[in-house]
Amino acid sequence: MAASSPSRRAPRPTPTDGFSTPSSITQAETEAILLQHIPSDADPKPILTKQAHMQFLVRNLVQGFPARYMSQDASQPWLLFWTIQSFSALQVGLDPGNKQRMIDKIMSAQHPDGGFGGGPGQAAHLLPTYASVCALAIVGRPGPGGGWDQIDRKKMYRFFMSLKQPDGSFLVAHHAEVDVRGIYCLLVTATLLDLLTPELVAGTASFIASCQTYEGGFASASQPYYAAIPAQSPAGEDFHAKSARLLETPRPPLGEAHGGYTFCALAAWVLLLPFREAEAGGRLPQIDVGKLLRWLVMMQGSEIELGGFKGRTNKLVDGCYSWWCGGAFAFLEALGVNGAAEGAPAGLPSGEEDEQREQWDEVDDTLFNRTALQEYILYAGQHPAGGLRDKPPKNADSYHTLYCLSGLSAAQHRVSPSEARRMQIHEAWVNRRSSVPGAVLSESKLPDQTRRKVFEEALAWAEDEGGSLVLGGADNRVNATHPLFNLTITHAEGLMAYFYGQSLPPRTRLGKSTGKA
Amino acid sequence: MPSPASSSDTSSALYAERPEWKDVTPLPQYEDANPIAPIFYSEEYKDATDYFRGIVKTGEKSERVLELTESIIRLNPAHYSAWQYRYETLLAIKAPLDVELKLMDELAVSFLKTYQVWHHRRLLLMLTGNPGPELKFITESLKVDAKNYHTWSYRQWLLAFFNDDDLWAGELDFVDAMLVQDVRNNSAWHHRFFVVFQSGVREGETERGRIVRRELTYVKQNISLVPNNPSAWNYLRGILDFNNLPYSRVEDFVRPYAGTTTDGSTTDLVDLENPPPSTNAQLPCSAAIEFLADIHEKEGGKDRVLQAIALWRSLADEHDTIRKKYWEYRIREALKSVKE
Repeated sequence: MAASSPSRRAPRPTPTDGFSTPSSITQAETEAILLQHIPSDADPKPILTKQAHMQFLVRNLVQGFPARYMSQDASQPWLLFWTIQSFSALQVGLDPGNKQRMIDKIMSAQHPDGGFGGGPGQAAHLLPTYASVCALAIVGRPGPGGGWDQIDRKKMYRFFMSLKQPDGSFLVAHHAEVDVRGIYCLLVTATLLDLLTPELVAGTASFIASCQTYEGGFASASQPYYAAIPAQSPAGEDFHAKSARLLETPRPPLGEAHGGYTFCALAAWVLLLPFREAEAGGRLPQIDVGKLLRWLVMMQGSEIELGGFKGRTNKLVDGCYSWWCGGAFAFLEALGVNGAAEGAPAGLPSGEEDEQREQWDEVDDTLFNRTALQEYILYAGQHPAGGLRDKPPKNADSYHTLYCLSGLSAAQHRVSPSEARRMQIHEAWVNRRSSVPGAVLSESKLPDQTRRKVFEEALAWAEDEGGSLVLGGADNRVNATHPLFNLTITHAEGLMAYFYGQSLPPRTRLGKSTGKA
Repeated sequence: MPSPASSSDTSSALYAERPEWKDVTPLPQYEDANPIAPIFYSEEYKDATDYFRGIVKTGEKSERVLELTESIIRLNPAHYSAWQYRYETLLAIKAPLDVELKLMDELAVSFLKTYQVWHHRRLLLMLTGNPGPELKFITESLKVDAKNYHTWSYRQWLLAFFNDDDLWAGELDFVDAMLVQDVRNNSAWHHRFFVVFQSGVREGETERGRIVRRELTYVKQNISLVPNNPSAWNYLRGILDFNNLPYSRVEDFVRPYAGTTTDGSTTDLVDLENPPPSTNAQLPCSAAIEFLADIHEKEGGKDRVLQAIALWRSLADEHDTIRKKYWEYRIREALKSVKE
């Protein structure tokens, strides 16, 4: 990395209008550090130091996590998911012995009353439930000891329903907070395990919509107001406004637009599309997609920030938003935003700069700067000693390692809903349920037609042929990841096919395969 | 995200060594002595969590559970199960909540970034029903971290949940003070939007036209002070969108910011409606160019759309090159609408 060599074009510092405030001071400090990581023309191609990152990941897995990870004691399934999904991104699999040890550890966090906790003896919580099920998608299998058949889906469903609030939201755990991360985790888990029902998701899309702020991104939650609450009603926690009518307005977002919440809200919104028409009350909830797109593109830092993403307006760039913001662009396509420059109108000069970029596609319809994002991750996101990070000079950690790699994947590949693939899956569908022992949910709350729709919409995502752009050459390639789940498409297909009792037609892709290495 | 657990220096003995805990059987975390990816716990933490698992198993809810869960929380404030069990214990033994809140005052400052600290406080407030002292406390903790997401959403929840005129009364002054400290603090701008527009209409604010004018003046003055401040521009857009007002309403104000010179010399008249860019302003301001392009596009007609396109082109090629793809997308979309 070029510390002192002249940069290709001196990037402009963020303008401060001669008016310094705490925000502009930390911004300038960050820019000064990032400036040292901007390459010059003379620099060699950036390299993703896969070996070093693997060593970092393997060390944690085999030797264990150092004491500072004690703060993650309630997130043990996350530590496993971040690690094993990073393996998948780096195209590495795990040996059967360690796979089994991982399955055993995850299963020990399953709560006797359903769902997974942060570790053995911990209460069930939506976040580790997502992490556990996704980790099992990678390392688990059917049969005794394989994890898949030992997930108690009936109890998990009951756990989910016990968290449901009258405004369509969910607590993340009993007595805990409501926020869209939990809803995302719940919907992914329910989608993967064939647990989605209209009863479960009633009102949820409206809740998600109410979290969109005036900036366009989404907040952590919104505050419900109810009509006809008795004045003397004790405002205790167990107060359920079931009899009271939820007001359409006001329903203010709590907190500002934020990258992490925006990813979760948007993915949840897309997962709910098959249910949207069934939403009670007749009125379809809406989100403002144009505003959302604008907010998302504005989160990308400028050249002096190496094109990394920030999580909120006037905050600093951070490698993890490579995924939470960069990864969210894939959803816009599912919502009808089409960046494709098909038949670009005459008179639009194609950028000369683009032609200088290696492997730049003639028609690149990505709406953010995918080259710049890769530069941020490769030049600033990699810790010299292995693992990836928020920004220099911070240390690497498991969380940032995965979300930098996932963001790199989102910048390298184009994964979008494919109508051809959806039709293939649609036609191969058979009306049957999983053969998972004792797994049938209370004799279908869900008609096969809806299950079929959920299944085919979730798995219609496919990597576009020729749509990839790998900065620094083919050695830097990481696997494509499913935008909704952050699993490889292969792993998502494997788990869903099993739980829905389907067999999937082979993907007719040419060339490189996603999935295992 | 992982951050070093703060080491507590409470010198109390391990639970395993204390006679009054003899009746509890500590439960080790894993039956398997050699689980994959272990965390290297401190002895103190392992001891406390072993006893916690033992307590959860028997379901005991007693005074000493409060001590045990506090020990765990001080070592790892993200241990949500300890919080959850603590809350249930508080209810079960009818513990005095003022004592608990006092402890929370201390813990909130130490563990500002954990969800649980703030949520626990919320649960307590729903029980006490006394939000009065809270706003001052929140203001104090924002001095430590002025953009803390949990702190701000807690404040918003408090206001909306109790919805008490006395609580709302000081909010605009509070936001203003926060923005004076840092006009780029987006959390404060969001709070202002929450207070003024999104949380319902309170007495004295029913005349919405006046409120909109007040807010437009406020945001324009702040843009004038620091033009390259996306938070303020987003607030301006927010006001107009929320009230279904056309962007063209502020065209005269925006125009000078999209130009290249701070030309304050043309007139000595002070136009309060349209404060000019400060003398230090770095122009053109890309947010203003974008805004002006949006005005042109929304006004419609071929000429205006072409003007919008020229502005987007200047953003793509010169003023905001990182978003080239987006500006070109806007150009394509606008051209489509002209053709149709």
